[in-house]
Amino acid sequence: MATAESDSRLIERVGRGDREAFEQLYKRFARPVFAMAVRQLGDNGRAEDAAQETFAAVWRSAKSYKAERGSASAWLYAVARHAIIDRARQKRENAAEVPDEADTRAGPAERAEESWLTWRVHSALELLPERERSVIELAYWSGLSQTEIASYLDVPLGTVKTRTRTGLARLAGLLEEVRT
Amino acid sequence: MSDTPDFSDLVGDDLTPEEELELARVDSLLRSVPAPATEVPGSLTRRVERIGTTRPIWTRRRFAAAVALAATLAALFFGVGRWVGMGGGFNARASIVMTPGSSASQASGKIELGSRDESTGNWKMRVTVDGLPHLGGNDYYVLWLAKDGEYAGACGTFNVNGRTTVDLTASYDLSEYDDWVITRVGQNSPWLLSAEI
Repeated sequence: MATAESDSRLIERVGRGDREAFEQLYKRFARPVFAMAVRQLGDNGRAEDAAQETFAAVWRSAKSYKAERGSASAWLYAVARHAIIDRARQKRENAAEVPDEADTRAGPAERAEESWLTWRVHSALELLPERERSVIELAYWSGLSQTEIASYLDVPLGTVKTRTRTGLARLAGLLEEVRT
Repeated sequence: MSDTPDFSDLVGDDLTPEEELELARVDSLLRSVPAPATEVPGSLTRRVERIGTTRPIWTRRRFAAAVALAATLAALFFGVGRWVGMGGGFNARASIVMTPGSSASQASGKIELGSRDESTGNWKMRVTVDGLPHLGGNDYYVLWLAKDGEYAGACGTFNVNGRTTVDLTASYDLSEYDDWVITRVGQNSPWLLSAEI
């Protein structure tokens, strides 16, 4: 991703105890981390615990991050995944009931692949200017038409189309190496 | 996402073939993933804001200086104590406040470092914790040292009943480690309390 280097720099600053860098990193990754936790844990309370633990681990471990070993996004993804798995394991240990339906979800490899792809896309969305991000999220996940989005945001239809197109072009650059 | 408008509705029909290819790739990516979180709960932001705000008074350098001073003072007090016929007891030379993790946000902890026993190399420690539940069965808490976020050495085990104080020892060169950590016994147990060394 084009911003990997700046993510790396933020993590390195966090490793030196830089609070402002930590806040920037939180703003950039809070939604992808929280969304992944909600999807995998299934409830907001435990997702919040896992997200908090993710950022606590980032604060504790940022000094061990080495940019030459991999991208910052992959490192953050691994930290988040670890915290979420830890939380999921606690639930399994406490669970008394056994599900009575067969698990029809994709296998672990496919789920991991989907999870990583989702993480990349959601992280890239966070880097868009708010005006572009909002129209894209409304277009793809709200079920609103372009005209309804224009009405909802109280902007001309042409503005919605321009922002959508500009946002998609920006995402194309951010997700250059990602293919479905 | 069947409700998502067609690609051409979203981007118009005046794209160059190259642009269309690139935007169609992104369009396909967006359609293949679930919706992002609508918003991050304010409570999460407040919880994360507290991370790292309990700044350790004892940075590694200050800690090393304090330890050297403590050793000098301990030797001095030991000598004076012997001279005037006193001895024994626990004298804290440094106090380290521990920060609670997300799994024990109501907990608090403090490690007081005493003198180093020159004959064995053991550091005396007094650990006080509050807000952790009493553990039943064969469970217990472990105080350990971490390096790069990983387990690197044990300092002792204990259980609690309300506010609890235990005396433990560590025989390590503490300057080689990053954090003090308290967890429940078991692999991958979350950090309940921790403090930077």
